[in-house]
Amino acid sequence: MQREQPGRAALPWLLPSFLLLALFYLYPVFEALRLAFTDARLFDATTTLSLGSITGLWGSAPLATVLRNTLAYTLGSVLGQLALGLCIALLVVRAERARLRGTLVLRTIVLAAWVIPAIANGIIWQLLFSEAPFGAINSALRLIGLAPVAWLSDPGNAMISAILATIWQGTAYSMILLYAALRSIDQSLYEAAAIDNATGFERFWFITLPHLRPALLVNAILIMIMTLNMFDTVLALTGGGPGRATEVLSLFAYNTVFRGFELGRGAALSLLLLVISLVLTVCLTLLLPKGRK
Amino acid sequence: MEMMRSSMLLALLAAAAPGVTSAEELITRNRVGPSDAENALTFRLTAFDLYSADAATAAAFAEMFTVFIEANPGWRIDTQLQTGAIAQEQARIIEQTRAGRGPDCAMIDSSQLATFKDAGLLAPMTAFFTQEEIDDLFPFVREGVTDANGDIVALWWFTDLRVLYRDTTLVPDAPQTWAELQKAALSVANQGLEGVLFNAGRDEAAAFDWLAHFWAQGGELVDASGRPSFFEGENRDKFLNAVQFYVDLVESGAAPRRVTSLASYDDLLASAAAGSTGMFIGGNWMYGQIQNTMPAEQAANWAVSELPGPSEDTRATGTGGWTIAALTDDPAKVEICAGIARLYAGPGNAYQGLLPTSASLYAEYEAFAGPEFEVFARALENGRARPGVPIYPEISEQIQILLGNVLSGSATPEAALDAAAAEVMAAFERL
Repeated sequence: MQREQPGRAALPWLLPSFLLLALFYLYPVFEALRLAFTDARLFDATTTLSLGSITGLWGSAPLATVLRNTLAYTLGSVLGQLALGLCIALLVVRAERARLRGTLVLRTIVLAAWVIPAIANGIIWQLLFSEAPFGAINSALRLIGLAPVAWLSDPGNAMISAILATIWQGTAYSMILLYAALRSIDQSLYEAAAIDNATGFERFWFITLPHLRPALLVNAILIMIMTLNMFDTVLALTGGGPGRATEVLSLFAYNTVFRGFELGRGAALSLLLLVISLVLTVCLTLLLPKGRK
Repeated sequence: MEMMRSSMLLALLAAAAPGVTSAEELITRNRVGPSDAENALTFRLTAFDLYSADAATAAAFAEMFTVFIEANPGWRIDTQLQTGAIAQEQARIIEQTRAGRGPDCAMIDSSQLATFKDAGLLAPMTAFFTQEEIDDLFPFVREGVTDANGDIVALWWFTDLRVLYRDTTLVPDAPQTWAELQKAALSVANQGLEGVLFNAGRDEAAAFDWLAHFWAQGGELVDASGRPSFFEGENRDKFLNAVQFYVDLVESGAAPRRVTSLASYDDLLASAAAGSTGMFIGGNWMYGQIQNTMPAEQAANWAVSELPGPSEDTRATGTGGWTIAALTDDPAKVEICAGIARLYAGPGNAYQGLLPTSASLYAEYEAFAGPEFEVFARALENGRARPGVPIYPEISEQIQILLGNVLSGSATPEAALDAAAAEVMAAFERL
């Protein structure tokens, strides 16, 4: 009896997933690609093939500002989420090993932020950062004798506020991934290090970090993609202002389509976002440890 | 106990037996009228009336719609709700209508009406209004709802305008000029409060509220052909004057720098309710909100007046509001749509205290007899609607960016205007 080729046997099982992915993921990408090569506008029925939507982005003054904002926002948010997620994961693992109570509660509290919709997250932080005399954070600062901060009206501070709001929400995701990775590190390595009188920093630097490298890189890739696509928190928090101080690429694309009604140009911006995500993902993937033979 | 069991059994039988059930509800979450009506019209509406979170408002509109549907036997209105994301919702209506899946009748924000007209999506409604009704519309409204062929393509069922609110315990007399406003605001600021608040964040409200100061000087955003002209010739000076007015308010401390983060009238109302501001530039509808949200004693302190101008006799105010238009070729549906629009324009406005767009309606309903309506009616004489051109959304966007950059100190008014002009003209070339 001749056995069936494994590849052929898998096809019927993979086909439904492939069709669903093609319908819901590939089709929108192809549609965006098609629109990017047109001058389509939402209220204009006639659409012609054109490179104008793509070439028009070259040398665009607002796009340069938006790309700078996107770089600052993504870098700040990704580094912040990684650092804070790692700190909380280390804290939870350490507390669990010491058999302290409350680690489950801590994890749940951190995760609660993650389940809040991004738009609600933006509104919550807008209330907290409000510069009105009754704004929450500024009121607290006044209580302890500190001067209020122009969280949202100062262009520099507004970007920091947007990054803080994003870090607050995204840290839980980072924490969960790193927590799982930390739990998988062989405990005997730490016991050996203790015998060698290694300090806490040395154990972290020479054992924890090297073992976390793949998880950190995968985490960085996922967070980076999510942050690049994030526009709802910024939309609710600052709307991209003051001026264009916090307008990131995804929000710029949204505004181009839904406020300027320029479908072709918006699609070209979405493609730019896709290309940036892909390039950064490939770069970070190259840093991942290669599989051992 | 036995009686109770019998009653329950009867109730169950009644529920199960066809023809024995109680009358079907005429108003549901997605329908007005009997579900089996032979004709159906889809109507996309906002969530402020029939489906208002306020039970009394919802009940009042349910009653109006019940009367309407009973007067139009054989019809059912399939209702579709719009969310608060106005620009996105209006874009969706355009896209769906193009694809043949749009509503038959819809509420369209007056700021987007030009886009719909330009796209040729609206059905003429002239036949369903009398000449008297059309003549009675305020001139800026009639112009706004008339297309290039002279047809009425929508009913602008209510308008709104921007006015100055002040706490009379802090500012007894209404400022009439920009200079008086700054002086009054500074005197409030010297008492440790915020002098005057206005939207200057990234929202259409910021651009539209500010435009009143540009229009008050006779400035024009576009020329007769629809080409942007706000940055040229005399318009440039008027534009920079109006920007400088805001800059002076912020630089002098009469207005806090945080205005660049204000993009919602709710934020202004919150400050008024907290008693932390002396004045704010808001919409006429906020008068009712003040009465409803503040304790009666506090609300009584708040008065409304026309927006100050560069001088007493040069005033303007931006007039907005919502329209109802038909997006179908079926004349029967267009007629029902016109009927719905008339319902909103008359009794609907009277219930909500919104500003009708026909002079006669002010006299017809008792609801418009309050002193605040005298102020609104006077201000409406200087009302200016947004220009009905497709480039307006881009102009608005660039004004929002300009105000944020200038008031936060990131750019000079001149440089910001040059940048805005370049962006608007680039977008105009792409139209």
